Amino acid sequence: MTEAVDFNVARWLEAQQEAVLDAWMSDIVSRWKKNYLHVVDTEHLHLQSRQLLEEIRKLFVENPNEFWEPTPDSKIVVLIRSLSTQRAKQGFKPADSTFYVLSLKRVLWRRLLQDRIAENKVALATCLAMIENVIDRLTLLIYEVYVETRERLIAQQSLSLLELSTPVVRLWDRVLMVPLIGVMDTQRARQTTERLLEAIAKYEATVAILDVTGVPVLDTSVAGHIMKTIAAAQMLGARVVMTGISPDGAQTLVKLGVDFSVVTTRATLRAGVAESLLLVGKRIVAVKDAP
Amino acid sequence: MRIPILRLGDILLTSIQVDLTDAEVMQFQTDVLHAIADIEARGLVIEITALEVVDSFMARTINDTANMAQMIGAEVVVCGMRPAVALTLIEMGRGLIGVETTFNLNEGLARLNKKIAQRGDSSLTDDEDAV
Repeated sequence: MTEAVDFNVARWLEAQQEAVLDAWMSDIVSRWKKNYLHVVDTEHLHLQSRQLLEEIRKLFVENPNEFWEPTPDSKIVVLIRSLSTQRAKQGFKPADSTFYVLSLKRVLWRRLLQDRIAENKVALATCLAMIENVIDRLTLLIYEVYVETRERLIAQQSLSLLELSTPVVRLWDRVLMVPLIGVMDTQRARQTTERLLEAIAKYEATVAILDVTGVPVLDTSVAGHIMKTIAAAQMLGARVVMTGISPDGAQTLVKLGVDFSVVTTRATLRAGVAESLLLVGKRIVAVKDAP
Repeated sequence: MRIPILRLGDILLTSIQVDLTDAEVMQFQTDVLHAIADIEARGLVIEITALEVVDSFMARTINDTANMAQMIGAEVVVCGMRPAVALTLIEMGRGLIGVETTFNLNEGLARLNKKIAQRGDSSLTDDEDAV
């Protein structure tokens, strides 16, 4: 009895394939129309979906009775993986990405219920359970891959941010500049300190400008990190000029009881540069016959 | 009421002439800091000749404001403190430590100009790139 019914699912799907695909695609397009259709190639989407549908049909043929467990290298898993990775990179929201297969489930259910198989309650329940099982697995898979892709992206970005965001610039003979950009945490603070000390040693610098214009939040912990960097630089005999503290930042720091009196502070990088040049006995003057 | 903040070249001049509520003092602090940042002032004078009573909150706020102003690159002088006020503040153990103080405005400006002349950015004239 069951075998006959299961066989029906595969065959039924084969017979209905075009109609299901059409209903499915129009459902998808109506949902994605607003945000994503410009990034999705409709023809490619059709092709992909037809392939997926075909794979699902094969699944029903191959596993007529037992519940299907996805194996990592099966064709359908590979297909879903590439699909979900692509969606994640295209900036789909997770809900919209999983909607892709959930919509298929909806379409299949609707068509099944309209079919004459609906008269046989047992057969219908079996069919629905099978479809439900497969689609649910695929949904979970899509979500998993989506998160994986996003996490990889975030890891890559934070790594490149870490690499990019701690340059030590040689501004003039014996004058270094460290533009701090982004959130300062322990790891970044240590890296900044290391690079600054290396650069001080390398260029025999006597002045270092620490520009915090790009640091969004100045709190006790950030200030603590910066103070350590300053103390370390001073131990190598360099003077530190701090620039770019905003009025709000200054208010916060003083209210938190942070003491920056050991460093020279200037409002802007411009003033900081002038100050540090003075510390090495230089000055910027206007050229009379400038071109 | 808001305390007027006057610009005198690179220096900002403020004079507190009435007793302020706590909220007004905080407003004053914010105003002063933003004014300094706006024109990249190199000096700030806080003139308190007219103040006959300075409570601990007021004293602390003046001290804090001075520290904040220094943090964003302005030299600060508090001037014109009345002898009685100074006495009270010392007795309270809340002296305006860490801030330069002078007896009157004249001396305050002189002190400030001297400090500014020693700074690296005193050679910078008006911001040529400013739009």
